[in-house]
Amino acid sequence: MTMIRMLDIHKHFGSLNVLKGVSLEVKKGEIIAIIGPSGSGKSTLLRCMNQLETIDQGIIEIEGVVVEAAGNVDVKVTASTQEVRATYRKMGMVFQGFNLFPHMTALGNVVEAPMLVNKVAKDDAIQIAEKQLAKVGLLEKKDAYPSKLSGGQKQRVAIARALAMNPDIMLFDEPTSALDPELIGEVLSVIKTLAQEHMTMLIVTHEMGFAKEISDRVIFMDDGKILEDSNPKDFFENPRHPRIKTFLEKML
Amino acid sequence: MDQMDYVLSILPFILSGLKLTAKVYVFTLVFALPLGLLAAIGKVKGPKLLQKILYLYTWIWRGTPLLLQLFFVFYGLPIIGIRLSPFAAATVTYALNSGAYLTEIFRGGIESIDKGQYEAAKALGMTYPQTMRRIIIPQTVRRVLPPSCSEAVNLVKETALLAVIGMPDLLRISTQIFTRDFNITPFIVAFGLYLIISSVLVKLFGTLEKKYSIYD
Repeated sequence: MTMIRMLDIHKHFGSLNVLKGVSLEVKKGEIIAIIGPSGSGKSTLLRCMNQLETIDQGIIEIEGVVVEAAGNVDVKVTASTQEVRATYRKMGMVFQGFNLFPHMTALGNVVEAPMLVNKVAKDDAIQIAEKQLAKVGLLEKKDAYPSKLSGGQKQRVAIARALAMNPDIMLFDEPTSALDPELIGEVLSVIKTLAQEHMTMLIVTHEMGFAKEISDRVIFMDDGKILEDSNPKDFFENPRHPRIKTFLEKML
Repeated sequence: MDQMDYVLSILPFILSGLKLTAKVYVFTLVFALPLGLLAAIGKVKGPKLLQKILYLYTWIWRGTPLLLQLFFVFYGLPIIGIRLSPFAAATVTYALNSGAYLTEIFRGGIESIDKGQYEAAKALGMTYPQTMRRIIIPQTVRRVLPPSCSEAVNLVKETALLAVIGMPDLLRISTQIFTRDFNITPFIVAFGLYLIISSVLVKLFGTLEKKYSIYD
């Protein structure tokens, strides 16, 4: 089953072309690592998937629903606004900067969207939230405000918050880039747990070892295009492209 | 002892003035707070035309003397056929003036919230109104408390302009007693009362700040 289909996506910021015709299909249960030099468009690609950026050209389809069609394409968004919104809700996102709500406790952060968006009753929402916080190993911190949590704990709460909406797809935008080295492991291990449960995931990361270990597909982006799309073994052991060889030599 | 008796004898008059001052003050805030909040949201996210209108609004009301604004509403509006009671005219003027300052305070507060907060809310499926109500405004409140406190205290002092347009507020009543008795005691009492009200407000805002700083 195809979860995400992106077709010839173009995106520019002012005169800067960030995505220059990217096409991508994501199947259910796939774990895709998106890597590449900074400025290559990895984050923008991820942000286009859940409409944090609007595309200039191309088609985005999520679980069979066209959610965005822009520019010179022969497809239109036929789904109702409601349906499009519901489709986007099937994707959870985790940010580099955590973006926890600082005025709410860890539990408050996690129950908020289920109650507000999905209209889940308070008691049920708390149950869902506690389950997710337990999953990321932070149930005992449920009453702590984000300011009292370490970076790794914040990111784990952010993951629990996204999971509480029961998403089919998780997008991770450099989830460990803002963390001190000793805190990276705890976040990666939570993501590994999700991988074992076959959650469909797209992970923009600079952690090459992690990408190699966890992903079943690696996408290398360079200059707004996908330069390589292969399995991690081939990618890391026999990179075909000289550009990728140079990149990997620098990273490893 | 004579002095004490004198103070007690003029106190009922002065308190009647204080009552008007307090009434104008409370009504002003009741209108100015929602006005400031809505206008701030309009300025941040409203359609272009609304943004232009709001720009004109804060530009004019923050850029001219409050006393002149009171004169316009009191003496200008009747010329074009709009007759308001002195109390209504005063409240409208103060609310529009204070609302203009609060608009800019709240706008600054809203714009100081990191855009990641909007993105997280959007990624969780929240609509813009939901995001504002649950995520942005509560954080904004915390940040605008100190400048709002200044505005609230300023407003107390600005109510003294009611005396200039002939309304029997705290200051005018005190002035009347002063001219009657040729004794500055009523001014000292008024001085003390203004200071007490301002101090109560500062204290109140301090408590609010403490309550909201729980998540810092």
